Amino acid sequence: MTDTSRIRNFCIIAHIDHGKSTLADRLLELTHAVADRDMREQYLDKMDLERERGITIKAQAVRLTHQTDGQTYELNLIDTPGHVDFTYEVSRSLAACEGAVLLVDAAQGIEAQTLANYHLARDAGLVILPVLNKIDLPAADPEGTAAELAELVGCERADVLAVSGKTGEGVTALLATIIAKVPPPEGSRSDPLRALIFDSTFDAYRGVIAYVRVKDGVLRTRARLHAVAARMDWEAEEAGVFAPEATPVPDLGPGEVGYLVTGLKDVHLVKVGDTITSQGRDRAHEPLPGYREPTPMVWSGLFPAEGGDYGALRDALDKLKLNDAALVFEPETSMALGFGFRCGFLGLLHMDIVKERLEREFGLELIATAPNVEFHVARGDETIVVHNPSEMLTAGTYDRVEEPMVLATIITPSDHLGAVLELCQGRRGEMVDMKYLSTTRVEVHYKLPLAEIIFDFFDQLKSRSRGYASLDYESWGYEASELVRVDVLLHGESVDAFSSVVHREKAASYGRGMVERLKELIPRQLFDVAIQASIGSRIVARETVKAKRKDVLAKCYGGDITRKRKLLEQQKKGKARLRRVGRVDVPQEAFIAALRVDQKAGEKK
Amino acid sequence: MSAGIYVHVPFCLTRCGYCDFNAYAGLDHLASRYVRALLAEAALAAPGWDGEAVVSVFLGGGTPTTLEAADLTSVLVRLRDRFDVTQDAEVTIEANPDTVDAPKLGALLDAGFERLSMGAQSFDTAVLASLERVHGPDSVRRAMGAAREAGYANVSLDLIYGAEGETLASWERTLRETVALAPEHVSAYALTVEPSTPLGRQIALGARPSPDPDLQADMFGLACELLAEAGYAHYEISNWAKPGFACRHNLGYWERRPYLGLGAGAHSYREDRRWWNVRPPEEYLRQVEAGTLPVGGEERLEPSDAYLEEVFLRLRILEGIPASWVEPQTAEQFLESGLLREADGALVPTERGMLLLNELVLALAG
Repeated sequence: MTDTSRIRNFCIIAHIDHGKSTLADRLLELTHAVADRDMREQYLDKMDLERERGITIKAQAVRLTHQTDGQTYELNLIDTPGHVDFTYEVSRSLAACEGAVLLVDAAQGIEAQTLANYHLARDAGLVILPVLNKIDLPAADPEGTAAELAELVGCERADVLAVSGKTGEGVTALLATIIAKVPPPEGSRSDPLRALIFDSTFDAYRGVIAYVRVKDGVLRTRARLHAVAARMDWEAEEAGVFAPEATPVPDLGPGEVGYLVTGLKDVHLVKVGDTITSQGRDRAHEPLPGYREPTPMVWSGLFPAEGGDYGALRDALDKLKLNDAALVFEPETSMALGFGFRCGFLGLLHMDIVKERLEREFGLELIATAPNVEFHVARGDETIVVHNPSEMLTAGTYDRVEEPMVLATIITPSDHLGAVLELCQGRRGEMVDMKYLSTTRVEVHYKLPLAEIIFDFFDQLKSRSRGYASLDYESWGYEASELVRVDVLLHGESVDAFSSVVHREKAASYGRGMVERLKELIPRQLFDVAIQASIGSRIVARETVKAKRKDVLAKCYGGDITRKRKLLEQQKKGKARLRRVGRVDVPQEAFIAALRVDQKAGEKK
Repeated sequence: MSAGIYVHVPFCLTRCGYCDFNAYAGLDHLASRYVRALLAEAALAAPGWDGEAVVSVFLGGGTPTTLEAADLTSVLVRLRDRFDVTQDAEVTIEANPDTVDAPKLGALLDAGFERLSMGAQSFDTAVLASLERVHGPDSVRRAMGAAREAGYANVSLDLIYGAEGETLASWERTLRETVALAPEHVSAYALTVEPSTPLGRQIALGARPSPDPDLQADMFGLACELLAEAGYAHYEISNWAKPGFACRHNLGYWERRPYLGLGAGAHSYREDRRWWNVRPPEEYLRQVEAGTLPVGGEERLEPSDAYLEEVFLRLRILEGIPASWVEPQTAEQFLESGLLREADGALVPTERGMLLLNELVLALAG
C-alpha cells in the first residue's frame, strides 16, 4: 500500500491520432514498466479490434513507478475511451483521476472530442495539464496551437508543455509536472471501504474482472464485498495492479487503482459506476455519486443471413453480452427477414463493433436494418416506447411523439463553415452558439435530432470539410417532433424491415428515394411488381418492376444435357437464398443494399 | 430402343465471338489424323452398342464441311459398317454456307447425308458482323441454291436473334428472307452469352451491351408468328419444321433416347449414364491412337436427376408433362397466369411459358 501523498492518478485526453498510445509507450519506457525486449508499439491497446481501428474501447489502468528526488511515486495512468458513444464510461474513468493530460497534436489543433472530454474533466474537478504533442513534425504549429490551448485552459502560454511521443522529447519534464501539479488523492484508511468500478472486462477463465479506484478504506484480497447498485455480495478472489501485466497485490489502499477478480460469470453484476463496499457493519453508508444504468441510444435489427443461424446468433449475443454490459437485445420477428434480434447500442461505433465482432469472432453473416433512435409516443396518459420503426403507431392514433435530441459540438476550419452550417440546417438543426477559436477555426454548437446524426452525418461532415471538421455530442433530452412512419410496400405487402420513422417534411422524398433504389434491386418476377412508399394509407411514391419475359436456355448443346441440368440446379440454389415477401422473391443482397446507411435514400449527394 | 450417333468435328475456318462449342480454328493440319481417329473410335465403341438400332446420325461441330467429302463419306461408311444403322435413318450434316458448293453437296448427298443443316444466323450484314460470322447474306442464298441444285430436299437453316445492333425490323427481314428460301426446317436461337467466350468477356467488361431479354422475347414472338404463317410447326422451343421434317436426331436428345457421341468432347447417354469425351482434340487423338476410349468424364443419374431432365425436356418439346405429376394448386397458378395450357391431360407451355421455361421447370419439378 502506497501512502496517498506519493500517488498520482491521471489520464490522457486526446483525439484519435493525436498520439496518446505513443506517449503512453514512452511513459512505460521511462518508468521501466516494460523490459526493452518486450516493448512493442501501442502496448496498452490489447484487443485486436482496437489496434486496427486505432481507437481504444476498453479503459485500462497502468501502474508506473517513478523515482525522483529520492522519492518513489506510484503513477496510475488511467486510459479513457475516446469516442462519443462512450461518454458515460469516460466520465467514470475521469472520476478515478485527480489530473488529466490534455494532449493535442501541434499540427492539428484542438478537436471537438478533445474539447468535450476536456469539459467533462474540468467538471469532474481534475487538474488539467495542457500538452502539445508531435512537436517534431515539420507541419507542427506549436505557437498557434499553444495559444489555442492556453486560451482554452486559461493558463499562460509558457505553462503549455511540449513533447514528442515519437522521439521522447519533453516526456521526462511531463512526468515531473504530473508529480508536481496533480494533487495526491484524498481518503483515509480507517474509513469504511468505498471503491469505484470504472470499467470491467470478462476473462474466459477467471470471470468478470473489475477495474477499481479505491476512494476510502482498504480493499483486501479475499475480502467479502458488496456492490451497491447491483445489490450483490461477492468475494474478491484476487486484487492486483497492471504493471502493466496483471500482478496480484495483498491489498489496495486509498487512492490506489487496480483490478479485482470477482469470480462472477455475469458482467451485468459488475456495473460501471457502481460502488464496492464491505459487507456487514463495515459497510459504507453512502455510495459514491454518479452511478447510471447504461442507456442504449441507437437500435437496429440484426438477422442471420442464413435463417438456420438464428440459434448461433443468439448464442453469440449471449457471449458478447458477458463482456459488454451496454449491449441489450430482444428477439424480433420480421416478416421479411425472419427471426433475429432488435439490439440497442450506445451509438453507431458501438453498433459497428458489435456487428464486426459477431461476424469476425463468431463467423456469422448478418443483415442489419437501418439504425434508428428510440421514440416516445404519448397517447392519452400512457407513453409508449418504440425501438422499432415498424412498431411505430400509425399517424393520427396518438397525441404526440418525441425524439431524442443532442447538443453537438463541431469544430471546423472557417473555410468550410458555410458547408457545415448548411449540413446542420438541412438536418433540422438549431444553432445554439458559435465562437472563433482562432482566426481560422470555429467552434459551433447545434441542437440536432439524434436520428439525423445517425444518418451518415459524420461522413457528410467529413466530406464537406475535406476531413477537417470534428464532431462530438451529448444527450439533450427528448423533444416533440413531427414524425411519421414511412412504409415500403412490395406488391401491396408492407416490408417491415424497410419501415422508417422520418420527419414529416422529409417523408415523401425519403419514400421516393427508397422506392427508386429498390426498383434497381428487386429482380424481375413473373408478374409486374409495384413498389410503393406510403404514409398511413397515402401512397407517396410508386415504381413498377416489369414482369420478366424471358428465362430459358435457347439451346441444348449437342446432347450435353448434364450442363443444362446443372444450370437449372444452380438457379434452384439461388432461389433458395431468396426471401419471400408476400409473392415477391427478394434476394438477400437487395436487403443489404437497401438498408445500407451510407447511401441513405432521400439524401442529396 | 432406337439410338442416335453424334459425330463431332471440332474444326472451323474462324472462331465466332459468341460460340463456346468445342471448336478450333487453325487445327486443319490435324484433319486426316482426326478422321482416322473417328474411324478407330467407332470401331472401339461399337461392341457396346450391339443390337441397338441407330435411327439417326448427326455430323456436327465445329464445321464438318471443313473436311473433304471423301473423309466425311468414310466416316459414314464406317458407322454403317459397325452399327445397325437403319435403312431410313436420318443422316444430317451441318454446313457453313462458305464451305459448300454444288459439287461438294452432291457428293455428300450421294454418300447418304440427306439432311443439311446450315448456319445462316442472319440475313443482316451488320448482325452477321457483330456475330463475327465470315459469310454474308448472299452466301446463304447461294448455298441454298447449291443445295437445291444438288438435290437436297431436307434443309434446315439456323438463325440467331438478339445480337448487338439487331432490331425487331431487321429480325423480321431475316425471317422473311428465310421463309422465302423455303427450307424444310428452321432453328432460331436467342443469342445466349457464355461467360467464357470473347463476347462474354467484352460484356462483363462493359465494352458491349448485354442482349435485351425483352427485345429477344419480342423477336421470339415474331418468329412464332411468321413461321406459323409460313406453314412451319413449332415443335421445340427453338425449332420449327414443315410437316414430317422435325429433326429426329435432336428429338432423341429431348426424348431421352440413347445416343453415342464420337469425337472430341462429344456427349453420350444410355440408361442412367451420361458420359463425355475429352475436349482438347490433341488429347482425344492421343487416347484413341493408344487404343482406349477417350472418355473424359461421366455421371450416373439419380432418380431425382432423371425426373428433372424428364420434366424440362418434355416441356421443351411441347409434349408437356402429365398433369398428374404436378400439385393441382401449382398447375392452377400457371394455368391461370397463362404460362401453361392443358392439352389431353398434359400440361404444355404456352408461347409465354416457353420463354420462362426455367421458372416453370423449377416450380414444377423443384
